[in-house]
Amino acid sequence: MTSDSVLPNVVPTPTVSPSLREENIKFQVRLKTEDGGLQLILPAEAESSIDHTWTELWEQLKHRLNGGDRFWQPQTKVRLMAQDRLLDGRQLKAIADALKEAELQIERIYTTRRQTAVAAATAGYSVEQQLRFSSVVSGKPSQLKEPVAEPLYLELTVRSGVEIRHPGTVAIVGDVNPGGSIIAVGDILVWGRLRGIAHAGCQGNSQCRIMALQMEPTQLRIASSVARAPDKPPKQFYPEVAYISPEGILRIARAADFVRTPIETMEDKR
Amino acid sequence: MSRIIVVTSGKGGVGKTTVTANLGMTIARLGHQVALVDADFGLRNLDLLLGLENRVVYTAAEVIIGECRLEQALVKDKRQPGLMLLPATQNRRAEAINPQQMKQLIGELSKMCDYVLIDSPAGIEMGFKNAIAGATEALIVTTPEIAAVRDADRVVGLLEAQSVKRIHLIVNRLRPKMVRENDMMSVEDVQEILAVPLIGVIPEDENVIVSTNRGEPLALADNLSLAGVAFQNVGRRLQGESVEFLDLDNNNENFFSRIGKVLRTKIF
Repeated sequence: MTSDSVLPNVVPTPTVSPSLREENIKFQVRLKTEDGGLQLILPAEAESSIDHTWTELWEQLKHRLNGGDRFWQPQTKVRLMAQDRLLDGRQLKAIADALKEAELQIERIYTTRRQTAVAAATAGYSVEQQLRFSSVVSGKPSQLKEPVAEPLYLELTVRSGVEIRHPGTVAIVGDVNPGGSIIAVGDILVWGRLRGIAHAGCQGNSQCRIMALQMEPTQLRIASSVARAPDKPPKQFYPEVAYISPEGILRIARAADFVRTPIETMEDKR
Repeated sequence: MSRIIVVTSGKGGVGKTTVTANLGMTIARLGHQVALVDADFGLRNLDLLLGLENRVVYTAAEVIIGECRLEQALVKDKRQPGLMLLPATQNRRAEAINPQQMKQLIGELSKMCDYVLIDSPAGIEMGFKNAIAGATEALIVTTPEIAAVRDADRVVGLLEAQSVKRIHLIVNRLRPKMVRENDMMSVEDVQEILAVPLIGVIPEDENVIVSTNRGEPLALADNLSLAGVAFQNVGRRLQGESVEFLDLDNNNENFFSRIGKVLRTKIF
């Protein structure tokens, strides 16, 4: 592949397939730094169109903790934002155990559900029951467009079957294996081999980019464009950047040349 | 402290049960107390491979339900003292047993021996969850095929989520000739994707089929075949010994091609 070349097998999609239009990005477990402590935010049941099983939720949490555990001070306090999710005592304990393994502690549980509040209080946690109202408001992302979240930085291998969704930019230190996928509202950076699926700008921002040290993806998606990798892998790999050209075609450029490329296109516009 | 190791793969037919049987036999031969647990409820095979089928009276399910004591269900191998089998049920399905019960059972079993090897069923459903419930280590078995590697990758992810962090890789049924001709993934290709430390490479060996049908694991033989040696090496590595990997590349070459190789290296 020469630098700044269109993928030989690029599949520009002029018509936007419905699955690529508006991704509801908000339904994964999130860990957020908030004034000195951590917030563990569980996806609200009202928000997610897909019904999240407890196992899935728990696996997401474990992957997040495994991927970022060296960034937290031991014994950091965590506020668990359970939102409108029903949690029983066993599940609360499972969350606490997972956090404990990463040397984190639950400080307080916030919930809008009475049953969860009771279960948490019974298990001996301090609980704050919030009004249901607040979750209803935030449950309408289409009206209240949230600003892009802080970048998600993970140090792990995204293995087959794992999907990372994040309402911001995602940086992965490690490989993205075939069968794994990353879906981000912002950019995607892979400091490793990208062999799975990456979808940047999934809410329609075609300015977003996908960067990888070794680009051999199953599929690349930016905003509503889709491209697949050439059938023959290049002989030599070097860091590359995928972006949408002014003509609206998904292109890949050598990272070293990429800095130059946007300037050229700017001049073209004039 | 005994070691509890689950043998798993995701995909079926890659040789989990064969690996479990042979590894169990090898470790017992090295002088340890080993218990093999068949966690493939409903489709038990491990007893067949070990040739112990006709000695099974009670199974793991009966122990869990409380119909018998654990000692009653364990089948001791007469050929290899130190090896015991906890068979799986044929009739009760895996859904009847939950991970909690399994964990307790394995915990009890681990008090009696140095190694517990759990043979997991294929897939990632309830049976798999039961199999990994009590484990602290895992051996991932895969063949050099993309489908097997993909499934193995998924399973590694699930194990990591379950906090089973000590994971090793066995590449099974490797055909060195095909790898040389670029018709098969090499061990390095597999490792590059899975990023899990390698503990063994088992070459494809017809003797495996013979031994399976006879119910005599390869590792039991006095004169070990190539695959048998490979299994023995895995067992020793598992003990913490550092054993060099077999040079599978040269093994199938005949005398003349070796001579040719020597001559070529002399000339250039």
